[in-house]
Order: sequence, then C-alpha cells, then structure tokens
Amino acid sequence: MQGSIRNTFLFFLLLFLLLLVWLTYIQVWAAPGLNRNPRNTRALEQQMRIERGEIVTADGLPLVVNRREGPYYLRDYPQGSLASPWLGYAHPRYGLAGLEAAYNPELSGEADASVLDNFVGTVLGREKSGADLVLTIDSAVQRAAETTLGDRVGAVVALDPATGAVLAMASSPRYDPRLLSQAWERLSTDEGGPLLNRGTRGLYPPGSVFKILVAASALEERSITPESGFKDEGSWNAGGFVVRNYGDETFGQHDALTAFTKSINTTFAKIGVGLGATTLNAYVDAFGWREDPGLRLQTEASQFPDADEMDVAHLAQASFGQGEVLATPMHMALVAGAVATDGSIMRPFLVQRVVASSGVTLSEARPSVWKHPVSAETALTLRGMMREAVVSGTGTAAAISGVQVAGKTGTAEVADGLPHAWFVGFAPVEAPQVVVAAVVEHGGTGGKVAAPIVRTVIQAALNR
Amino acid sequence: MNPRNRELLLLLPAVFIATLGFTVVYARQTGSPAWAPLAHGAVFLGLFGIAHVCVRFLAPRADPYLLPVTALLCGLGILMIYRLDPDRAFLQSLWLGVGIVFFIVVLVSARHLERLAEYKYLLGLAGLALLIFTIVVAPETHGARLWVRIGGIGFQPSEFAKLLLIVFFAAYLRDVRELLTVSTRKILGVAVPPFRYLAPLFIIWGLSVLLMIFMKDLGTGLLFFGALLALMYVATGRAFYVVVGLVLFSLGAFGLYEIFSHVQTRVDIWLDPWQDPSGAGYQIVQSLFTLASGGLFGQGLGAGYLITLSGNPAIPALETDFIFSALAEELGLAGAAAVIMMYVIFLYRGFRAALVAGHDFARLLAAGLTVVFSLQAFLIMGGVTKLIPLTGITLPFLSYGGSSIVSNLGLLALLLLVSHDSPQEQGGDLALSNDHQGIRVVRNA
Repeated sequence: MQGSIRNTFLFFLLLFLLLLVWLTYIQVWAAPGLNRNPRNTRALEQQMRIERGEIVTADGLPLVVNRREGPYYLRDYPQGSLASPWLGYAHPRYGLAGLEAAYNPELSGEADASVLDNFVGTVLGREKSGADLVLTIDSAVQRAAETTLGDRVGAVVALDPATGAVLAMASSPRYDPRLLSQAWERLSTDEGGPLLNRGTRGLYPPGSVFKILVAASALEERSITPESGFKDEGSWNAGGFVVRNYGDETFGQHDALTAFTKSINTTFAKIGVGLGATTLNAYVDAFGWREDPGLRLQTEASQFPDADEMDVAHLAQASFGQGEVLATPMHMALVAGAVATDGSIMRPFLVQRVVASSGVTLSEARPSVWKHPVSAETALTLRGMMREAVVSGTGTAAAISGVQVAGKTGTAEVADGLPHAWFVGFAPVEAPQVVVAAVVEHGGTGGKVAAPIVRTVIQAALNR
Repeated sequence: MNPRNRELLLLLPAVFIATLGFTVVYARQTGSPAWAPLAHGAVFLGLFGIAHVCVRFLAPRADPYLLPVTALLCGLGILMIYRLDPDRAFLQSLWLGVGIVFFIVVLVSARHLERLAEYKYLLGLAGLALLIFTIVVAPETHGARLWVRIGGIGFQPSEFAKLLLIVFFAAYLRDVRELLTVSTRKILGVAVPPFRYLAPLFIIWGLSVLLMIFMKDLGTGLLFFGALLALMYVATGRAFYVVVGLVLFSLGAFGLYEIFSHVQTRVDIWLDPWQDPSGAGYQIVQSLFTLASGGLFGQGLGAGYLITLSGNPAIPALETDFIFSALAEELGLAGAAAVIMMYVIFLYRGFRAALVAGHDFARLLAAGLTVVFSLQAFLIMGGVTKLIPLTGITLPFLSYGGSSIVSNLGLLALLLLVSHDSPQEQGGDLALSNDHQGIRVVRNA
C-alpha cells in the first residue's frame, strides 16, 4: 500500500503546486490588467477614501460637501439640484463627471501644488484630503437664473464682462444629485436630459442674436455706420434664396440702427453679403467662435461654415444667424462681452480660488484677455445700438427702471415646432457689470420669452 | 524532543501570529491599540492549550505538526472573519470551542481505532441517514439544500457525513482489498475484480452522489467521489480504478452538464466569467479583482476593499466560500502562499501518518481523511481563483461555519489517533527525524 499512498500524496502535492503557480499568475502577472479593468471599482473606492475638497459659491454657500460613511467619504449636496448639470458627480458606481471630473486633481489632492501640503499632513498624522474650490458663481444670481427658467428647457449664462468670471450658469432640466443612483437608469439613457449642461454644450441656431457679431464686423470694417441707409421691400433675393423678415413685416426706408433694433433680416443679409464670406469668417474666428474658451468644463465649439463652402445664399442666411450657424449660450455671452467692454473678450472662468485643506490658497484665478475682435470705438457704437434695441426695439421686455439695459433678441426658426427664443444683454450700459445670454428651446419669440429671463438675472446680478 | 513538547513549542508562534493580526485589525478599526486583541489571543491560546493537554494524555505519540498548523489556520480564519464582521467572529470562536469539545470526544471515544472499524456499517448508514435527513428537512437556500436548522442553530450534516463515510470506506476496503486486487475475470483484455465486492462501495458512492444531485451541492458530491476514488487506489494500488473512476466521472459530469442548468452555468462562467460579469460571473470576477488588488504583499490587514461603500461584502459569501480571496487581498500572494503551504504540511503529515501506520485500517483511514481534507481545500481555493469551476464548499478551518470547523476538528482528532497508534512513532524522536528509514522499515515488514 506504501507505493499507492506515496503516489496519491504526490498527486495532491502536484495539485497544490499547480494552485500556487496559478495564484502567482493571477496576483502578479494578470493583476495589472485586472486592476485596470473598467468593471473594477476598486480604484474608485480608493478615491472615495480621500476627503475630497468641498465646492462653495463666491458668496460662501456650500454646493458640494462630504458625508462620512465608515472609511469612505460620500458626496452630499445641501442645495439639491442647484447647478447640478455642470457640477457633475463623484460617485463610486458612476464615476466622475462635470466640474468634479475637470477639477479632480485639485479636489482629490493630487494636483502638484498640494502634494507638499499632503506630505506635511501625513507626517503630522492628518488624513489625506483634497482642496476646496471657491467658485465665481453667485448663489443669488444662479438661483434667480434657475427659478426664472423654471420648467422650460434651455440655458442661461451670466458673466462679469470685465473679468470673465461666470456669475451663473443655469441649464434646464436639472436633476437631484442626491438621488443619482435611483434615477441613473433614466438619466444615463436620456441624451438631451439633465446630465447635459446646455450652457456650454447646447448648440442652437442663434437667429438674430448673431446680428451682434455681424454688426460688430461691419462697423469695424467701416462698411456701415448706424446712420447708413437701407431700403426694405419685405424680401430680398440672395443668390436664389429669398430672405424674409420675421412675421413677414416690411420696413421700407431705414438706417442701420433701426435694422439692428427692429432686427430686419433683409438688411443684415445685405450687410453680410457686402462683407463677403472671407471677411465674415475672419471675424467669426476673431470672436473665438470655433474655439473652446478654456473653461475646463466640457465645452462645444460653436459652428460656422468655412468661407469656401459658402455661396451668397448661405452667406445671406448666416448673416441673420440661420442656416449652418450654431452657438452655445456661453459663446453668445462672450460675444456680447466684447461689446460690453473695450472690444475684448475676457477668458471665462468658473473657479475663483483653490484652497488647500490647511487654508492655504493654492491658486487664484487672474483675469486675462482671451480675444480682442473689435476696437473700443466699435464696441461703444454697438453698445449704443443694443441699448436702443431695449429702449425702442424688439427687446423692450428686458428694460429695468433706473438701470440702462442693452441687448438683442433672437428668434431662431427651427424645422419643427416653435422657434428657439434668445436674448443677449448687459447692464448698466455706462459701465457693464454683467452680461447675460438666455435661450429657451422652442420657447417662441426672443422678445417675449427670453428678454424677461435676462431682465430678472441682470437684476439679481446688480443687486448682489 | 518529545513530540508533545514540540507541538507546544509550535503552538506558540501560531497563537502569536493570530494575536498580532488581531492587534493590527483592531487598531485599524478603532484607531487605537487596546487590550482586547490580547484577550482574544489568550482565549485562543486557552482553547488550543486544552486541546494540546488532551492530546498529551490521550495520544502522546501523535504527530506534533498537525495541531499547530490547525491552530494557525483557525487563527487566520477567525482573524479574517473578525475583520469582515466582528459579530460572526464571536460566533466562530464559540464554534471553535464546541469543535475543541468534539475533538476531545473523538479522541476519547475512538482511541481504540480497531473498535471503530467494527461499527463500519452502522457508521456508514448513519452518514447516509444524515444526507437523507438533509434532503427531506432542509429548505433550498442559495440554490442548494445544505442547511438544517435545529433549535435555531444552522447545521450542515454533509460535513459530518463526510467523516462517517470515510470511516466506512476505510473499514470496508480494509476487509475486501485483497479480493479487489485479485482479478478473476478479464473483460476486453482488462482484468476485472469480482463485482460483488465492489457493489457496496458503488451503492454508497452512487447514493451519496445522487443525494448531492438532489441537494444541488456539487462541491460535496465531487469531494465524496474524489475521496472514494483515491481510497480505492490507495487500497488496491491499481490504476484500473482510477481509469474507471475517471470514465465514470466524465460521463457523470457530462450528464449533469446536460441536465442541470446550474451546472452549465457553473462551467460556462468558469470558461468565461466576463460574458456576464454583473450576473452569473459576478462572484468570480469580483474574486479575481480581489486577488489582483492583493498583489505580492497585499493591502495589509484591515486595509483591503473587502467591504463596499454600501456596507456589503465585495463578494457575496466572502467569509465562507471566498475567505481565501479576502486573505489573499490583505496578505497578498505571500500570505496566500503561506496558507497553501499550511495545507501542504497538513497533507504531508496526514499521508506520513498513513505511511507509518501499524495496520491497514489506520492506513486507509489516515489516507482517506487526508484526501478528503486536502481535496476540499483544493476545490475551493482552485474555485475562487478560477483554476477550476467554482463549487460552494468551505475552506477547512478558515471559512466561517460551525459545522465545518467542528467536523474538521473531529477529522484532526482521528488523524492524531492514527499517528499515535503507529508502531514507528513509539521510538519517539528517531522515527520523526528519519522519515526515509521509517518508510523503508514499514515496506520491509
């Protein structure tokens, strides 16, 4: 029996050796691949052990804080759905999105500036923790923008034109990040849903608000002045495409100022065609239209056809913001920003300060000029024209007593349903403190629907 | 050195390692060192101290390595269970206490091994009765009928049936092994032993496997089958039984695969767990992630990601079937390999006891017990590492589970009795320090 006992022993010894070799393969050779597997949430859980930085508004209202659960920190949102489309989330199952993703290095304490800070913390026995973000967002302006937008689908962007600081960015619909896991099934499959930040990622035909850019280009090129005379006959044939005015109105003899304030399409088609595709394209680029302004949030570039793709018909349509022109609310606010300043566009930013857990400021946003598309003189002239549009033109619904508001309406016609309602404005005209762009999808006319939204947001911004 | 003193000396590092582990886990969970882990260590030392003293009186010449290896495995087991769920660790400690009592009961009642063999049919029938009882009484939980509840305490009869059936197999094979080695007929040129001596074995084996099918407990079925096959080979020394057994196994496995969807699922997820990583393959995929996270040296005790954010274990059945994965994450390949080496030492000492045993029943009993123990360890460790298809059985001494730890301590008691009974061990140190001589002596005898 000894031989068979020994053989059986050797057989089992072999089994255990096989197990040892296999285990070595799994734990050493296969391990890196398994650790990187997208199904493996362990790396994310490791992140959840770090006390991520909080996110607070400029006026000190906490938007994203932490809740401790065992060894983990979970995100909590004291303000509920406020700013949720772009704040994003840091969730153990769904990963990172929005500002949480864009500023993950800072929030998780991995950014270079806080490495030393964390090392000191480790030596002193403190837990590793991320840096806080102090936003440029003002909670009152943000809340006003979201409330006035209400249930309507659309977006509002409010900037300080002098610095580029984003004062508010509302996108509707929103979602409650506290209920993310319950709603995930619905949210993740809804492409145009609450997870889309319409402020930087919603692309809409701008309609007549694009006339701000066209007018600025024509004034800068000196091809028109506010007093230039035009004649409208209700329609104009541009290379086979018949341009008509909104509501099929006819204006007769008028000047360029009236063409702007009454938003006369035929005249702007003539101005655009007069400038030519190449010149207009150059200005579109000068305004940074096709670029990411560097907000660090996921941002779509606005669209405009290349010069060599444009015939007269295309050019005429593009001149009043129809055809193949698409804009994000952020870009429209930036374009108006050039008019509200000396012709320069400040680089927009959302984060004012990054503050380490020790209280030390790691970085502070410094305003910088991003683009300088037109001269101060052009900006000043156009500012007067936009002021007149609110005083006597299509934008009277944006007027505030005691404050000089300037703006431009847009009613962007779409293939199906009501037109998108646009309004872009700023105030006060003498020294603009805030510029606001608002769009309501299928909302109707810009003057009736979007102008009151901008009015409310401007008021909130001036009262802050 | 006297084998008992050697045993006592080896118990100390086992207890020390367990206590050190407790201290680390405790400090991690509470943020400060405390006396509680030392109390745990003291209780642990006390329990194995009692076991040691009993062995000293009841089986003084027994193998000195088996008990310390068991102590270390039990210690690591309770440690990991404590790290996952302190309440369950307390229960497991109580079960360890019950197990030590059972250990002593077996030491006392089975100390005349020959008498055990006389009751072979009674014990075999008792084993079968336990299995039938389970099928009749046990409700289906987690897709298998394993658990019987008596007075609110869960009880897994197959763990004890395992012991009883091995005793029966060993005793019966001792009686008929001469007849099985003598072939009277040839079928297709292959010598075939007389069928009637094989019949009782096949009946018992067939019944137990059938019962396993009804209980849907594939792991235990495979365990019984493998243990019987190995014992037949040990008893007769003929590869014929292994070949027949493997053919039978292949047929059985194929049949089960075709008939039962849960067997198909088991095999399919073994071949490719990634086809359904959040459904059927979830456990094995998570187990692989756990192993990978451990790497060479592990995350450290209490520092792995074994409990998820929602407070659930990272793998369902983590403290029972997947305790090895948990250990491999926190102690790494180094710790996991050490655990495998513990089972190898157990395997070696068990087979050594079989080799030097004084008579055939003891020999077969030691071999059978060691095979069933080692096979169980291999099946579950191989299962959770995706080396073989996963079958839900406990890892001896490490997994959470009262029946498992109690029955395996009974198994240990029987092994110690066999090694105590061996004529070679009576010379004390001489035989221990000179294995080859010892084996040769037996061969010549």
